[in-house]
Amino acid sequence: MSGGTILRRMARRLAATFGAAAALALLAAHVGSPNVFYEGNAGPYPVRVVIRPPGVIPGLAEISVRVPNGDVRKVTVQPVRWDLGTKGAPRADPALPVAGEPRLWSAELWFMDFGSYSVHVAVEGAAGTGTVIVPVPAVATQTLGMTRGMALGLAGLGAFLFVGALTIVGAAVRESVLPPGEVPDARRRRRSWIARAVAVPVLALALLGGSRWWDAEDRAYADNLYAAPETEASVAAVDGERVLTLAITDTTWSRFSPLMPDHGKVMHMFLVREPGMDAFAHVHPVRADSLRFQLTLPAELPAGTYRLYADVVHESGFPQTFVEKVAVPAAAQAGAVVARDADDSWRVGGGEAGTAARLEDGSTMTWERDARLAAGRETTLRFRVTDPAGAPAALQPYMGMLSHAAVSRDDGSVFVHLHPAGSVSAVAQQLFAQRERGDTTRTADGQLIMRAPADHALHAAGAQPGAVSFPYEFPKPGRYRIWVQVKRDGRVLTGAFDADVP
Amino acid sequence: MPGASTLPAPARAPARDDARAPAASVPWHVLAVLFASTSVIVGVLWDISWHQTIGRDTFWSYPHMAMYLGGVVSGVACGWHVLHTSFAGSAQDRAGTVSFWKYFHGSLGAWVCIWGAIAMLTSAPFDDWWHNAYGLDVKILSPPHAVLALGILAIQLGAMLMVLSLQNRHGDQRAYRWMFAYAAGLVLINLTTMSSEYTWRSAQHDMLFYKVVAGVVPLVLVAPALAGRLRWPATAAAAAYMGVLLALTIILPLFPAEPKLAPVRFPIDRMMPPQFPLLLIVPALAIDLVLQRWGARKKGWMLAAVLGVLFVATFFVAQWPFANVLNWLATRETILHQELRPYMAGDGALSRGEFWSEASGMVIVKGLGIAAVLAILSARAGVGWGNFMARVKR
Repeated sequence: MSGGTILRRMARRLAATFGAAAALALLAAHVGSPNVFYEGNAGPYPVRVVIRPPGVIPGLAEISVRVPNGDVRKVTVQPVRWDLGTKGAPRADPALPVAGEPRLWSAELWFMDFGSYSVHVAVEGAAGTGTVIVPVPAVATQTLGMTRGMALGLAGLGAFLFVGALTIVGAAVRESVLPPGEVPDARRRRRSWIARAVAVPVLALALLGGSRWWDAEDRAYADNLYAAPETEASVAAVDGERVLTLAITDTTWSRFSPLMPDHGKVMHMFLVREPGMDAFAHVHPVRADSLRFQLTLPAELPAGTYRLYADVVHESGFPQTFVEKVAVPAAAQAGAVVARDADDSWRVGGGEAGTAARLEDGSTMTWERDARLAAGRETTLRFRVTDPAGAPAALQPYMGMLSHAAVSRDDGSVFVHLHPAGSVSAVAQQLFAQRERGDTTRTADGQLIMRAPADHALHAAGAQPGAVSFPYEFPKPGRYRIWVQVKRDGRVLTGAFDADVP
Repeated sequence: MPGASTLPAPARAPARDDARAPAASVPWHVLAVLFASTSVIVGVLWDISWHQTIGRDTFWSYPHMAMYLGGVVSGVACGWHVLHTSFAGSAQDRAGTVSFWKYFHGSLGAWVCIWGAIAMLTSAPFDDWWHNAYGLDVKILSPPHAVLALGILAIQLGAMLMVLSLQNRHGDQRAYRWMFAYAAGLVLINLTTMSSEYTWRSAQHDMLFYKVVAGVVPLVLVAPALAGRLRWPATAAAAAYMGVLLALTIILPLFPAEPKLAPVRFPIDRMMPPQFPLLLIVPALAIDLVLQRWGARKKGWMLAAVLGVLFVATFFVAQWPFANVLNWLATRETILHQELRPYMAGDGALSRGEFWSEASGMVIVKGLGIAAVLAILSARAGVGWGNFMARVKR
């Protein structure tokens, strides 16, 4: 049974138990963290876009756009589906300035269909018009219970209508065909009782039919709830090395569009050891065939049970995260050098409870902790890297980005993979942009070609050397660990920090 | 004893309608419920057009307000009528009503209207919750919409019954006969709108279309044909159905509008009209003709069989070739604007003025056979219902 099915069933049982209008967030593209964050530029304007997708589809997405600098006159948003582009999109909606917040605009957009959507944000002002595309997967992730009050109210009205209908039937048979003034005789009154008696099972049957119809709609909805395709993960010893295989066992896999490599990797996989999250790996399996991905595990990774999160992006721009648990046996030979992807990285050890963490090459990574960190509150995770001498470190692009971060809650219910640009997939953005222009090309075997990804190394305007930041919002309170990865002198360094989010 | 009236035995002989009573002006609450019945069904058709053109709406959109207005007017008018009759009216007033829970008196139609208004009210919070739980509706019929539909139907049936009791008590008043036929036409619009998913012009060469129409329509044409006192009651009802729909078909596209939701597969620029009304006036004429010649005892399966078979035959002969005309209309811009389609409908048979499927030979014969059976059953229900309605005096 896959993680997806387990969580779905658990959610329904919880929703039934609480009975309250408790929305339970299920798995989404990242895990347990459905909101989309983007920080970058819309033409000449720096923007920070946060999109809170609806829990149900069709549903309303809330979009907030923050423009920290620039003389801005108007901000508009437009929902664009991956296969129809802006031609198949309605006119852009204006985003309204938020009272009390000088540089914040907000809007709501309907997402009508399941699938790969994007929001085109346009900023108009003194410096001209700038646009940015923010991909948003539109999936249903929530089930809603009915509050006790509403259920009782509806049941009460329903009972009233039931009794009312019976009374009307009785009155119709008994009196309505009599001329005015005539009193119904015994025979007529008896017929009225019979009519009502017959009406009871008929109405009851109608109610039963209605109830089963509701159940059928509920089941159909639950079937459409998003859950990552079912997978199986296992580790086998091959030639003295530990080879991890992730196999997709879900028959719905063929309905998705093919996978796109994101920054040169078809899959970004993260391994987090249970229960203490004391071993972490960021690795890149390759395809063994159309349904299987394989990877040789680094020898330094200790044995244990790991939570596995694998991020992929489809050609439609739709991102997915596979979630699995896998048992990793001990390495055959300690210290053996294993042939692997040069971009694979890992870290063994706990998280820094304070602000400064020592990195593998002697550098120090410092987290400028936000004093008002809280669940449901937008924040920016800021880190500074200083070399062993104490000067700001010169950071190199690591897979095209200045830095990568992974955030995991201690129970695994939240896992996100962040970049300085936010939680969006850069290749998905490029995809939407290229489709809009009309230029996409395919190879002879049908693979969509993307231009080499732009170097995002100096993404943030006025980036200071050694400083990296990630826009984020913790979805719920709890204990989290944040791994931040940078590259210095050709070596990938990973710092880990703990956060208790109230 | 339940249902027993507390009135003394009437001084004059019963079982005779008071056609010789002084001709009273039409009670205001009856006019109010006819207005409500119109408002409510226009609201439904307008709302469908809104969702096919603009896409998104709010609780207070104009079509919704037309529906709420119908519900409120109907509920208030009938509520007033019931309370006034029960507690402020004369004994003679109460004589012409049915009693409800011993203390309340009102005409039968009024009770049905009140039930309908309460059902409409119940559906509102239920629908709101449904959208939060399962998303905005992508098809017309969902459980909360079914409750709303029942409420709307009840309001319309109640209006029909209220006019009916007046028609049956004041036999010489021609106004009531026309009002009854009009009210029946509005109910016909309701039921055909509920089945509009199956009656697109591109479906009209498929036998499913004929089966659906044969199951739904005869009930609503035969019943008023039996209960109405016009010479051509079913024809009048079908004419009312056609008239209201044609009016909306011409009026709605006069208003420019554009989609506010993605995906926009057709850039519609004016309000989408309803589908062109079905040629129900042809089988309605046939039904009226049969009933004029049938004789005094208009009951039973024989009558239903004749009416059912005749319905299917005349409707098929009229609608099948007319469907080609409709598809031809769809390929050019006319005042009826049948070339428009909902914003989310892509290119296909509908946009090209073609049929989704074309039945032929034995498929048609078998289909018509099944349709005939459905029509006979529907007509039999109509005969029973119509005979009941012919006797309603309260």
